[in-house]
Amino acid sequence: MALTRRSFLKLALSGAGAAAISSLHPTELFTFFKPIDVENPLAAYPNRGWERVFRDLWKYDMEFSFLCAPNDTHNCLLKAHVKNNVIVRIAPSFGFSQATDVYGNRPSSRWEPRCCQKGLALVRRFYGDRRVKFPMVRKGFLEWVKAGFPREENGKPPKKYLEGRGKEPFIKISWEELFDITARTMENIARTYSGEQGKKYLKAQGYDPLMIEAMQGAGVQTLKFRGGMPPLGATRIFAQYRLANMMALLDDHIRNVGPEKAKGARGWDNYSWHTDLPPGHPMVTGQQTVDFDLVCVERAKHVVVWGMNWITTKMPDAHWLTEARLKGAKVTVIACEYSATCNKADNVLIVRPGTDPALALGFAHVILKEKRYDANYLKKYTDLPLLVRMDNLKFLKPEDIIPNYQPKPLNNYIEILKKGQSIPIQPKQARPMISEEMRKEWSDFVVWDTRKGKPQVITRDDYGKRFERKGIQPALEGTFTVTTVDGKSVEVRPVFDLLKSYVMDNFSPEAVEEITWAPRQGIVDVARQLAEHAGNTLITVGMGPNQFFNNDLKDRAMFFLAALTRNIGRLTANIGSYAGNYRAAFFNGLPTYIAEDPFNIQLDPQKPVKTKRYFTPESVHYFNDGDKILRVGKKVLTGKSHTPTPTKSILVSNSNSLIGNAKWHYESVINIFPKVEFIGVQEWWWTASCEYADVVFPVDSWGEFKNVDATISVTNPFLYMFPRSPFPRIFNTKGDIEIAAGLARAFTQLTGDKRFENYFKFVFDGKADVYLQRVFDNSNATRGYRVSELEKRAQQGIPALLMSRTTPKFIGYEQMEENKPWYGKTGRLEFYRDEDEFLINGENLPVYREPVDSTFYEPNVIVAKPHPAIKPETPSQWGAADDDLSTDIRQGRNIVKSWNEIKGTQHPLMRQDQKYRFIFHTPKYRHSAHTTPVDTDVVAIWFGPFGDIYRHDKRMPFITELYVDINPLDAKELGLEDGDYAFIDADPSDRPFRNWQQKKDSEEYEVARLMARIRYYPGTPRGVVRMWHNSYAATFGTVKGAKENPTGLAKNLQTGYQALFRRGSHQSCTRGWIKPTHMTDSLVRKGLFGQKIGKGFAPDIHCPTGAPRESFVKIEFAEPGGIEGKRLWRPAELKIRPTYEKDVFHKYLNGGFVKKKK
Amino acid sequence: MPKVKNWQINREMEYPYEENRPKRQIGYVFDINKCIACQTCTVACKTTWTSGKGQEVMFWNNVETKPYGGYPIQWDIEVLQRLDGQSWDDEKQTYEGKTVFEAAPQGERVLGWLPKEEDYAYPNLGEDECAGIVEKGQYFTGIHPVWMFYLARICNHCTYPACLAACPRKAIYKRQEDGIVLIDQSRCRGYRECVRACPYKKTFFNLVTRVSEKCIGCYPLIEKGEQPRCVQTCIGKIRLQGFLSKPEEARRDNPIDLIVHFKKVALPLFPQFGLEPNVYYIPPVHVPRDFLEQLFGPGVESAIETYRNVHEDKELLGAFMLFGASPKIIHSFRVKGETAIGYDEKGDEVVRVPFSEPLYIRPYFDRKHDTYRHNIS
Repeated sequence: MALTRRSFLKLALSGAGAAAISSLHPTELFTFFKPIDVENPLAAYPNRGWERVFRDLWKYDMEFSFLCAPNDTHNCLLKAHVKNNVIVRIAPSFGFSQATDVYGNRPSSRWEPRCCQKGLALVRRFYGDRRVKFPMVRKGFLEWVKAGFPREENGKPPKKYLEGRGKEPFIKISWEELFDITARTMENIARTYSGEQGKKYLKAQGYDPLMIEAMQGAGVQTLKFRGGMPPLGATRIFAQYRLANMMALLDDHIRNVGPEKAKGARGWDNYSWHTDLPPGHPMVTGQQTVDFDLVCVERAKHVVVWGMNWITTKMPDAHWLTEARLKGAKVTVIACEYSATCNKADNVLIVRPGTDPALALGFAHVILKEKRYDANYLKKYTDLPLLVRMDNLKFLKPEDIIPNYQPKPLNNYIEILKKGQSIPIQPKQARPMISEEMRKEWSDFVVWDTRKGKPQVITRDDYGKRFERKGIQPALEGTFTVTTVDGKSVEVRPVFDLLKSYVMDNFSPEAVEEITWAPRQGIVDVARQLAEHAGNTLITVGMGPNQFFNNDLKDRAMFFLAALTRNIGRLTANIGSYAGNYRAAFFNGLPTYIAEDPFNIQLDPQKPVKTKRYFTPESVHYFNDGDKILRVGKKVLTGKSHTPTPTKSILVSNSNSLIGNAKWHYESVINIFPKVEFIGVQEWWWTASCEYADVVFPVDSWGEFKNVDATISVTNPFLYMFPRSPFPRIFNTKGDIEIAAGLARAFTQLTGDKRFENYFKFVFDGKADVYLQRVFDNSNATRGYRVSELEKRAQQGIPALLMSRTTPKFIGYEQMEENKPWYGKTGRLEFYRDEDEFLINGENLPVYREPVDSTFYEPNVIVAKPHPAIKPETPSQWGAADDDLSTDIRQGRNIVKSWNEIKGTQHPLMRQDQKYRFIFHTPKYRHSAHTTPVDTDVVAIWFGPFGDIYRHDKRMPFITELYVDINPLDAKELGLEDGDYAFIDADPSDRPFRNWQQKKDSEEYEVARLMARIRYYPGTPRGVVRMWHNSYAATFGTVKGAKENPTGLAKNLQTGYQALFRRGSHQSCTRGWIKPTHMTDSLVRKGLFGQKIGKGFAPDIHCPTGAPRESFVKIEFAEPGGIEGKRLWRPAELKIRPTYEKDVFHKYLNGGFVKKKK
Repeated sequence: MPKVKNWQINREMEYPYEENRPKRQIGYVFDINKCIACQTCTVACKTTWTSGKGQEVMFWNNVETKPYGGYPIQWDIEVLQRLDGQSWDDEKQTYEGKTVFEAAPQGERVLGWLPKEEDYAYPNLGEDECAGIVEKGQYFTGIHPVWMFYLARICNHCTYPACLAACPRKAIYKRQEDGIVLIDQSRCRGYRECVRACPYKKTFFNLVTRVSEKCIGCYPLIEKGEQPRCVQTCIGKIRLQGFLSKPEEARRDNPIDLIVHFKKVALPLFPQFGLEPNVYYIPPVHVPRDFLEQLFGPGVESAIETYRNVHEDKELLGAFMLFGASPKIIHSFRVKGETAIGYDEKGDEVVRVPFSEPLYIRPYFDRKHDTYRHNIS
């Protein structure tokens, strides 16, 4: 029956057709009929002129390239389509396959396309209502400035000027005023806290005397600068550290001490603050991190994705994983839920959160027991054959057994620096360098030669092939006796022997099944597959395991597993840590920029820069923990090299992680910020950090940059330029580097000293690229590139290749392929740590500790049966109580128990209140990069199951909202329905903020206590709940706004800030956690830039990382999920939700609608 | 009612119009095993075509998690439960039940249903949620006892569109030059018969303009030899768009033909509905087969086996390597050694893709630039 016009008419006037058009006037109906006859619309259609509409919609006037770089590690050059001077659309550049380097190397088209939903949605963000549109100052703060910075007796500004943070309106001011106010405030703070008077003030304010001492009298040391993840903008973001260095001029101006004694400000860390640093990597390899470009997996035979939700957080590189599988590789996913990435796996292992070190040791147990490891590999590449003295648990040193022993000369990829010897610029650094003093301190090492039956000295040089050539057969197992030079008999054992006995005693598959929940068959299978593909397995470890307190132990245990299976440092066999875009070392010429001597500024673009670092790097964790260091009883557990100073001024750019999305956010807002006198935030989008700022500097969005800059990626091999944009600024914004320059000029105006201004002279001259070219010329991986040429290509959407030694880059190439030693004392992969800090904390071996908070058992206890090498000091030895499990003391509590003892224990909160029974963890997700585009409408609507663009339920904070994922069986037990709102409370002793009990009815507690929807999520094990990390917290303004605004939106009516929570945030449940082994003065590690090896604190390498995935909570009903709190949430009512399914849904799940007849 | 040939169900079926295949038929292959549910396709589409008033809940392209996801809510279950007796003769691969055309109630041309306004809320309902409950630790290998997967969906530009069949104004048509199905925006009067009829629910009613709209296959790009926005921006590289030949005219050097007609590794979604949809899915290898056969018909098991062995089939692997490699439409390809080469309509090379990315090792010391190159710097 072909449909003719007549039959349509008949249809139109009957049945369904009539119903559809009955609302129209009868005469109107017939005016619709044009003389168009369509016989068969499959064959021909006469009225196609209208198709022009969509062709017109697609047309655009011009396109330009820009770089999207939200610290998701990818960095995509995108193309903006512009029509009528408005950016209407964004597209991938398809320029990656044209990238090249000075050698003519080229990647293939398999890299295309690179973009994501968040980048494409920027078109709705560049023009968004939350853009920071003009310079702003908080009302109360302006009053303090205008009043001439009045202070109370203890030096503090009167409370009335500070307490309006997050509540008061902001006032629009000019750029000149903003710079002037900022400079004068910093000067006033620095002056106030300088010298003896400054010390007195700080003492009166209750700061730790060690922190005051660390300032060495310089008030500028209370000024903190932070630039966000450094490689994301070599000169733009690192301008913060250049400012910090410039503060030496201010110190000299205030204290008149001269260039020799002047101090700079303090620069806060990034990679470690974000808990991205895997702190055990430097403990094993002596350098920051081992990783590899994710493309490498396409060549592996086995890929183990461990605690990493690869397909949601590494989206543009997800295809390498799925293509590896296509090409025959097996994929094993280890996760603490049926994660998104599990659906790309051949093997899935679901485990208890935070037990990864035990799991790694469990795999090792199988491999050790079945002798599936290569002993020769361990002998030449690791410290496992080195002998340890059982009397003091230190390495046996040649001088212990050989009278007058002198350490031997070293020449294997190492250079010993004489005292006062200057080191070449980075491009000319051929090999690692250490001081003569350190060389002596290290001495050499001893193994037990089984051929000769006696101890044998080996040096750092005896690594890899060079060791093999020596013909020593060191013992890996056994107990031996040596006679020391003072005539004593001392028992010694190889590291391997100590570690093996620890593993064999404690981590049988049966025990590990109990500890980790991983079924023993899975433990055995995965271990065997690792061994089967030894030398062909790539292990990618995500930020999941890294965000637990035992993260350094996790790294050390995993490296041990990787060493047993020869999966380190090779293209198809390696173990990498994936979190954060961190490796500033690829721009290791950065000291020419951030540490240019401000007293000797180089104003000739062609001439070399004199560097002198005046600023002091520092970990933010101490500030986050209440601006204090870690003490247990009388014991100071923060190493001297780590000691922070009191924080009085904060200037931050390009980061919401420091304030708005910080761990323990409400503790900062309510208890810590009141001690800080100035908070400045540079942002292009109004975040929660802006909410609590005193001044806000509006900066350019990525589409509007007017200064060229560069970045790298740790997960792909490209070097990216931020090309200058031809697109005019949309609002009254500046570039971050221009803000630094503006501030410098304000200091010149304040002090009359031209050097401040000259420190940023090239910015004023419109030649800021001079600074970047200097960085390029002085960095190993960029030398040979011209900034101007790379920028031209970037304007076409084409990146360059970073000129690391290899492309793809992978750490360990030199160490494994070229037999060059690693960066630690022994030059080998190190599993034993004999430094005092490790010994007293019971972590000389890579032991397993229960999580510090996210556990059902006694927290942070070391899991071990009695072992001769595990002998930590306990709190009672330091003047505290051994049974003190309070959160602060717990961090330094070293108690050893066997698993059998531990499994009968309970988390202290469970003993208090049985409702505490959930591990609460907060991983990252696909619809946001940190907090960046999570609140862009077309992205937000996809964030989880509650997205509803019309907000049928006016309680919703936004068009979507955050939720907590809970196992449906747990929810039912609690009487919670799918979609209900619930309160989630962590340890009441310190969260959501300290002393909230005294403010129970306050606005503060209302804002800070987390309330969110419940989602029935069948993929998470019972007892484990999950909330995504990426979101905007409730603030004073949003809680108030939701009440006052008839729409009910959780939007600050004064600032426009938009929360995705009605109350609280996932950070209501987290806190700062500081681990003693992250704060040693003795760990040997390469520095941040270049080949120099030092020891102790190094920012982003050896310092605290916190443990933001740790929290133990109770969950209580708040409101029903149905619209306006009535009835059930609709999808649950429709019976299409997990555990609510109607019969027909069960039929669907089982494929029951279709039958197959044979 | 005319009888038309539907090769996907291996039989003739009733359809309101005579069979008339276009000169060229747009076709897509979506590899579910590669889909990451990032919604880049969704946002690419949204920001290009549907960011106007009345289009707030309209997503011509969406990605949903199966089994708990569905946009609009439970669109597939609504059809499945209305269509009785869906059965396949496994041997002949013939569908023996009724299609939505054959099962249409008296006086209607398609068995359909009309979603409510609120069914378009929660477009990502069920995201990442799995069938089966994880209670504690778990280990499995092969087919997952606890499972979910992502289903990316656009208009199928069907050979026998239900929207077109149902339109009382004949304002929906199929373009001869590329097989794209369009709603004439100047003639549509918003009766919503197409919305009711399309079993995939990929026609939408605009509450402001009061007419219906649907995916246009990005014809302004297709007309310039470019693949659609959702394909160009797919970072999972799950999508390939080309032109699918009639089965009897299939060319082995056309990557889509090779995948669909020769290797039969990609299958239509709900072929039993009878629309001969032109988006072909590679089924996810980890999902229980009964569920997959309900979605993709009886070819699932053999498609998965072929997919599992693709590393031994250079020709097919070469076709897969072309996914996402170029914004241009690839009309033909060949494999030379370990490289796949794609060509445009005129036979000019469009893209060249190696099976493995090259490894480059730079000199330790570069004399010319006076620098050492390190991986640890």
